[in-house]
Amino acid sequence: MPELPELNPVIHGKLRLALLSLLAGVEEAEFTWLRAKTGSTDGNLGAQLMKLEESGYVAVEKKFVQRKPQTIYRMTDAGREALQEYVQALKQLLGAAI
Amino acid sequence: MNADAEEMDLRERLDLMQKMIAEGRRKQESWGWTFVLWGIAYYAAFFWAWLGNFVYAWPITMIAAGILTSIGFARPRHRSPETTMGRAIASIWIASGVSMFILFDAMGFGLHLSDARVFFAAASAMIGLANAACSLTLRWKAEFLCAIVWWAAAVIACFCSQVTAVAAFLTAIFLCQIVFGAYMMVLESRQRRQVARHA
Repeated sequence: MPELPELNPVIHGKLRLALLSLLAGVEEAEFTWLRAKTGSTDGNLGAQLMKLEESGYVAVEKKFVQRKPQTIYRMTDAGREALQEYVQALKQLLGAAI
Repeated sequence: MNADAEEMDLRERLDLMQKMIAEGRRKQESWGWTFVLWGIAYYAAFFWAWLGNFVYAWPITMIAAGILTSIGFARPRHRSPETTMGRAIASIWIASGVSMFILFDAMGFGLHLSDARVFFAAASAMIGLANAACSLTLRWKAEFLCAIVWWAAAVIACFCSQVTAVAAFLTAIFLCQIVFGAYMMVLESRQRRQVARHA
């Protein structure tokens, strides 16, 4: 019997998975947009985004626009690859479960 | 966790991903106001030219509308995440706008616009092209109707009198810029309210 794949624990968290999936559809996104789409609190969202950043899955850029601070997130190539692998693993697991 | 609960958990995650990817790809930008703005700009340029300043009316009004559009998109409310789709749509309009600006200025200053119907036909056809390209990109039938109206105005300009060509051009501006722009603004505001409710 073939060995079942492990799911990447960094991506497996629901909010982190939602964030990576959102970022997969756009080129870059502001913190406020991600907060609106996920309905998460500032603290939780910031913590999960930091985990993704530490894993190299998202890149952060901080800048000032019209004197207001803005934090922009974009998915890295490593993040995209990890998400693809996660989807493959998920499909394999679901295939095995059926 | 038993096997059924685990499977349900995995399926939930798959659904979550699909929902979020679709959410990210949803049309992000607000374009309706640009249609209305450019519709008003076309009318302003047309009536200014009609009052006698044919050489400068169109270039000055188009430059002013271009500046106002850039200012509008730089406003914080309009800064939504950039998507490939959004960039494609913006590219279609920018490329068509620049082409028209260069062509009509060159024709005007080169004194090749003695028959205004040539201008109406070419302008209508090019705006129709931009609308059609956007509608095919977005798979949005309503915008394709605008393209058809513009193309009809282009054909009318080629075969009918100047008065009829003017009437067709002004009607196309009203239907495809003002009315369609207002319709888009209503749709966009409805979509914003939905997003706010889900947030």
